[in-house]
Amino acid sequence: MPAETGTASPIVYTIRGCDACMKLLRKWDAEQVIYEERRVELSQTVLDEARRLGQLVPIVVWPDGRVEQGFGDTIGCFI
Amino acid sequence: MVHATTIVTPARFVQGLSYSDFLAQATINHDKFNESYQSVPLTEGDLAFFRKAAALPQGPKKILALAEAWCGDVYRELPTVARIAEATSADLRIFLRDQNPDIMDEFLSNNGKSRAIPVFAFYTADLQQITHFTERSASAHAGLMSAMDEVRAQLKLPETATFGTLVDPERTAFLREVIARIQPHSTQWRKDAIAEIRESLATAVGIPNAS
Repeated sequence: MPAETGTASPIVYTIRGCDACMKLLRKWDAEQVIYEERRVELSQTVLDEARRLGQLVPIVVWPDGRVEQGFGDTIGCFI
Repeated sequence: MVHATTIVTPARFVQGLSYSDFLAQATINHDKFNESYQSVPLTEGDLAFFRKAAALPQGPKKILALAEAWCGDVYRELPTVARIAEATSADLRIFLRDQNPDIMDEFLSNNGKSRAIPVFAFYTADLQQITHFTERSASAHAGLMSAMDEVRAQLKLPETATFGTLVDPERTAFLREVIARIQPHSTQWRKDAIAEIRESLATAVGIPNAS
């Protein structure tokens, strides 16, 4: 699903209580990846935005519009 | 597991949120909680059973829930327990999982590895734990496994393929197909959760699982 971010950095939709989300953020922080985090547990607007992109956080929207759901071997959290 | 000593003391228990306070502090999913509350699949027979159990001297008078408003299993199942509490005049207290790790630690699942929610723990009036239920029904767990098997076959994926080992586009297709298979069972799995809670309570308090 194309979803242009309009920036050079990935956008990641997260829930801070989600293990898969935290694993991804820890990995990116260790690699010094610059990203924009949007926390779906804090805002219905952000949650609705995330639901238009997928059903499982973390949801990553890459600058080229690619969307990925979940992370690693942990299925993530359904939203 | 019922802990011999527990941090769920009477003083701590009353610090939990009521259902209305839980909803008031939640910033998301009000529509989902409301929808689940309006469609709780409790029958008159279920309610009669829960009232009968609650009326016993050592019956469930207090219910502790561990929850977070962002969790799908929580917005599907917590309204059911809120309705049970209303029908039996039980004191339902809800604790946010991520603010109460010490309580969560008493109810870990998956051999102590998972902090799965919701957790519903039923207690006597003097806060002796009777039984607890975690996350979702056994049929829902089995249904998820079965759906994954079916999708592996449909997409011609290896039997060992898991969500974590796949890469896009197979990963996305796998997820989409699994969700499509489990969604139609949502109401039945909510009914199954009620049946499991009934069975567990009936066994624990020593009454027939009948209305």
